Amino acid sequence: MINTVRNHVLSFLLLVLLQAVVLDHLDLANGWVVPYLYVLFLISLPFDTPPWATLVLGFVLGMAMDFFSSTPGMHASACVVMAYARLWMLRILAPRDGYDYTRRPVVQHMGLTWYMTYAGVLVLLHHLWLFFVEVYRFDDFLSTFLRSLMSATATLILCLLAQALTSRESRPR
Amino acid sequence: MRDLFRFLFRQRNNLLFLALMGVSVSLLINGNMHQRAQAISSSNAVIGQIYAWRNEVNEFTDLRAVNRQLAMALAAERNRRHTLPQQDTVQTIADSARRYSFITAQVINSTTHKERNYITLGSGSLAGIAPDMGVIGMGGLVGIVRDVSPHFALVTSILGNEFRTSVQLKRTGHFGLLGWDTSDPRTASLIDVANHVPVALGDTVVTRGNDGVFPPGVPVGVVIAVNNDPGSNFHDIRVRLGEDLTRTAYVHVVADLLKAERDSLEAMPALP
Repeated sequence: MINTVRNHVLSFLLLVLLQAVVLDHLDLANGWVVPYLYVLFLISLPFDTPPWATLVLGFVLGMAMDFFSSTPGMHASACVVMAYARLWMLRILAPRDGYDYTRRPVVQHMGLTWYMTYAGVLVLLHHLWLFFVEVYRFDDFLSTFLRSLMSATATLILCLLAQALTSRESRPR
Repeated sequence: MRDLFRFLFRQRNNLLFLALMGVSVSLLINGNMHQRAQAISSSNAVIGQIYAWRNEVNEFTDLRAVNRQLAMALAAERNRRHTLPQQDTVQTIADSARRYSFITAQVINSTTHKERNYITLGSGSLAGIAPDMGVIGMGGLVGIVRDVSPHFALVTSILGNEFRTSVQLKRTGHFGLLGWDTSDPRTASLIDVANHVPVALGDTVVTRGNDGVFPPGVPVGVVIAVNNDPGSNFHDIRVRLGEDLTRTAYVHVVADLLKAERDSLEAMPALP
């Protein structure tokens, strides 16, 4: 238990720093692709995280990013939306006899189809919220939508890569 | 009463969601409305320090480009001193030398590809930087200081969809507004220039300098395209920015020495 908490605190710090120091400065395709890998923290919280903790952690994660990018409330609101959606997604995608709490929501444990549905919906929701709040208007609807879609794809690819790189310690026990 | 408590308990997650959502949305709205009244920014000491470390690593890779910029700025300064200026130029320069002072600062963090971009400077209020001061680079406008802490300053970049500043066509003297709606960090738009103004490609755009933020005549960029929409009374002008904000490493923060005097005059209530 203590180990799990320590690992998640570490991954929180690592993902936020990685996002602020490296990924926020990538200029891919003239600003059309901005991967927000830090949401991987929320995606890979254990299945038995209490709902209130998911929501609070989402808020804290978003605020941490807001401090780095000087955008009060932007990441925080997107992450709270995403944390709330995660509660619903876990309910909808639950296996018939409930989750096996020795497993965690990662590709290696849950399979590619399950993971892409779960993470895909959450990441897309987060990015849509984030990009529309960032633009603060609806008149370029299509281009903002495309930007979110392309960035969400990039984020998902990075999520898969990050999990492939750290897979040794995450085999089912 | 017990039913109420039971209802609240059952809905506790939804209520928590609503509460957190309320907090973040109010931050969002306040942050956009009153840009001054907020502490959530990268001029915060801890965040500023992390960006300063990042910049120390990055500096090495940019040294060559920074050297070239500094050499060019030095050459331009030499040129200015060695060409014989006309009488009125001397007047302007002497005048602006008295009115504005320039603080050099290093850029330690910046983005250029978001909808609203911010720049963090490695100097703050201890160096004399205050909110609402203009920031100019070696080639032109960079932004306006939004927030300061003792050692860092946060600058709203001109690359932002809400940034507007008053500029002037140098050749004809007509005024317009500079805004960034191109999502390309090298160009910006010039709006509110009426159709009858003879704008030509290659015209220089400079600051108007009536706002107490930028001195007049700071180069902004060069006109690269003029579109005339038949339904509109105004030109649609594209400007190539003089400053490449994707590489800006050092900037000058403009302190208007007469700002306090001017503000107190303008704040006086109009007598009947």
